[in-house]
Amino acid sequence: MLPQSRSLAVRAVEACGAYTLLRLRRDGADAGVPGQFFMLRAAPAPADAYLSRPISAAWADDDELAFLLDVRGPGTRALTAGGAVEVLGPLGHGFELAPGPALLVGGGIGAAILPWLVRLLPEARVLLGFRTDAHAVCAALVHPDATVVVEPELVTEPLARLLPGFEGTVYACGPDAMLGAVAALAAEHGVACQLAMEAAMACGFGACHGCAVKIDGRWKRLCVEGPVLEASRAVA
Amino acid sequence: MPSLETSFCGLRLPTPFVNGSGTLDALVSGTLGVSAFVTKTVTLNPREGNPPPRIAETPAGMVNSIGLANPGLDRFLEDDLPRLAELGVPIVASVGGWSPGEYATAVARIGAHPAVVAIELNVSCPNVESGCISIGTDPRETRALVERCRRETDVPVLAKLSPSVTEIEAIATAAAEGGADGLVLINTLRGIAIDRATLRPLLGGGGGGLSGPAVKPVALHAVFHAYAATGLPIVGMGGVAGGSDASEFLAAGATLVGIGTALFRDPAVVARAALELAEELERRGASGPEDLVAAAHPPTSTSSRA
Ligand SMILES: Cc1cc2nc3c(=O)[nH]c(=O)nc-3n(C[C@H](O)[C@H](O)[C@H](O)COP(=O)(O)OP(=O)(O)OC[C@H]3O[C@@H](n4cnc5c(N)ncnc54)[C@H](O)[C@@H]3O)c2cc1C
Ligand SMILES: Cc1cc2nc3c(=O)[nH]c(=O)nc-3n(C[C@H](O)[C@H](O)[C@H](O)COP(=O)(O)O)c2cc1C
Ligand code: FES
Repeated sequence: MLPQSRSLAVRAVEACGAYTLLRLRRDGADAGVPGQFFMLRAAPAPADAYLSRPISAAWADDDELAFLLDVRGPGTRALTAGGAVEVLGPLGHGFELAPGPALLVGGGIGAAILPWLVRLLPEARVLLGFRTDAHAVCAALVHPDATVVVEPELVTEPLARLLPGFEGTVYACGPDAMLGAVAALAAEHGVACQLAMEAAMACGFGACHGCAVKIDGRWKRLCVEGPVLEASRAVA
Repeated sequence: MPSLETSFCGLRLPTPFVNGSGTLDALVSGTLGVSAFVTKTVTLNPREGNPPPRIAETPAGMVNSIGLANPGLDRFLEDDLPRLAELGVPIVASVGGWSPGEYATAVARIGAHPAVVAIELNVSCPNVESGCISIGTDPRETRALVERCRRETDVPVLAKLSPSVTEIEAIATAAAEGGADGLVLINTLRGIAIDRATLRPLLGGGGGGLSGPAVKPVALHAVFHAYAATGLPIVGMGGVAGGSDASEFLAAGATLVGIGTALFRDPAVVARAALELAEELERRGASGPEDLVAAAHPPTSTSSRA
C-alpha cells in the first residue's frame, strides 16, 4: 500500500533567486502526478533534522525528479547540502485535471508545484505572486508568459480581473491566506477550484495525525485527504 | 539465522516487534511488518483531536499534541475493527477514557471481537485534560481501573504507563496488583515546545508529549524498574530505531519491542530492526530473543520473574 523509500543521488543544487532548485537522479522512481508529494530527508540526516520533510515535485523527467525549495530550517538546508536524498513517495492525492480552460495560481513557494502542471496544461493562464523580486525569479521555471506580481500587489488582484466569465478550473497553491482568498473568489464566480494545501507533517502516510487541517468542517489528516482538495471541502 | 519467534501473554508472535499505539494506521499504509498491530487509542466518544500545529521536531525527537483523535467506540467497532481483522495480524486495541466506567465499556465491547488478542489501557496520554494520565499517575486509581477492566474481558489486559511519574515501580506494582497481564512502557514524556518568534507555546494543544531517540534512556530506565518490581511481561518502547535498540530493551526486561516515531521517518524500520536483531542473536549464539530478556538484571532479581 505504501511506496518503497528510495535513496536518490543529487544531480545538481542550483540557486533560483531566493529559492533553491534540487535536481535528483530519478533512477526509475515513480513520480506520481502533479500535486502529490514526497517525504524527503538528506542522507545521512543531520541530528537536528530527524524527520523527513514533505515537498512536492516541481517536475519529473525520464531521468530527473526536481524540487524547488524554500530553505527555512535544518531539514530543507540539509537537502541542499549535496550527497543523496532519501525519498518516500509519491504520497497523497494530486490535482485532478479537468477538461476546459485552466487558471494556475501560485503564491510564494507554492509556485514550486506548477511547472509540472504547466507541462500537462500548456494552454493554461498562469498567475504568480511573490514577496520580493528575488523570490519572483523562479517564475521563469513555471511559464515564460506568466503574469507575475510582487507585494504589495497580491495575486488575487489579477485573478479577480480574469474570473468574470471564466469557464474552467482554478488550480492554486500558496499560503493559507492566499488559498482562502482564491477559493472565495472562485466560489463567487461559480468556478471550480482545487487547492494544494500545506501542514506540518511527521510521516506523510496517515500514521501520526500531525497534519490536521479543517476539511469538510472537521480536523482531518491532510496527507490522507489531500494535499490537493476541492476548495469547497477546505473552506466548508 | 535464529528465529525471532516470541511468546507474550499466551500469544505466539513471529517477531517481538509491534508498533506504538497512535504511530501507525494500518488501514492507510498496511502493517509495515509488525507482528501484531496496536490501534490508536479509542475513546467512548469520537474525538477530532487538538487544533494544529500538532507536532514540532526537537533534538533527536518530536513533541506531539494530537489529542487522541479517533472515531469513537461505535465507529471503531463497526468500521475499523472488521477491516483491521482482515489484515492478517493479531490486533491489540488501545483504550482510553475519562472514568473507569468508560474504560470498562470499551474493554467489554472490544474484547468480545475475535480479532482482538489483547487490550492496552492507555492511562498515560499527556494530551488530554484530566482522564487518562491522571489515572496513570495515581497508584490507587491505576489498581482500581485495571481491576475493573480485568473483569470485563477474557483477553490479556495490558497497562500502558507514563514515564512522567515520580516512581514507576509504584505504578507498575499497582497495575500488577490490579491484575494486569502485562505492561507497556513508555508513553511519551510530558514536554512543551516554545515558538521562538512569539515566545508562546508552539503547539495548538499547549503542552505535548516527547518521543523519539531522545527518550530512549528514560524508557530503558522505566522498563528496567517496572520489570524488577513486577516481573510482568513488558512491551518496551521509546526511541527504538533499530535492532540494537531492541536488544537493549529486551535486556532491560521487555519481551516485545514497540516502534513509534522511527516509523514516521522510515516505514521500513520494522523489517530492518528484525533483520538486525536476528543477526545480533546469531553473533551471540542465542537461540531466540527470549534469551536476551532481562539480561541487564542481576541474578538476584530473578526471584520476581514470572
Ligand atoms: C504537501 C506539501 C508540499 C510542500 N511542498 C513544498 C515545496 O515544493 N517546496 C518547499 O520549499 N516547501 C514545501 N512544503 C513546505 C515544507 O515542507 C516546509 O517548509 C519544510 O518542512 C520546512 O522544513 P525546514 O527543516 O526547512 O524547517 P523547520 O525547522 O521544520 O521549520 C519550518 C518553519 O517553522 C519555523 N519554526 C520551527 N521551529 C520553530 C519554533 N520553535 N519557533 C518558531 N518557529 C519555528 C521555522 O523558522 C520555519 O519557518 C510543502 C509542504 C507540504 C505539506
Ligand atoms: C504522534 C504520536 C501519537 C501517539 N498516540 C498515542 C496514542 O494514541 N495512544 C498511546 O498509548 N500512545 C500514543 N503515542 C505514544 C507511542 O505509542 C509511544 O509510546 C511513544 O511515542 C514512545 O515511542 P517512540 O519513541 O518509539 O515513538 C503516540 C506517539 C506519537 C509520537
Ligand atoms: S503527516 Fe502523519 S498523518 Fe499526515
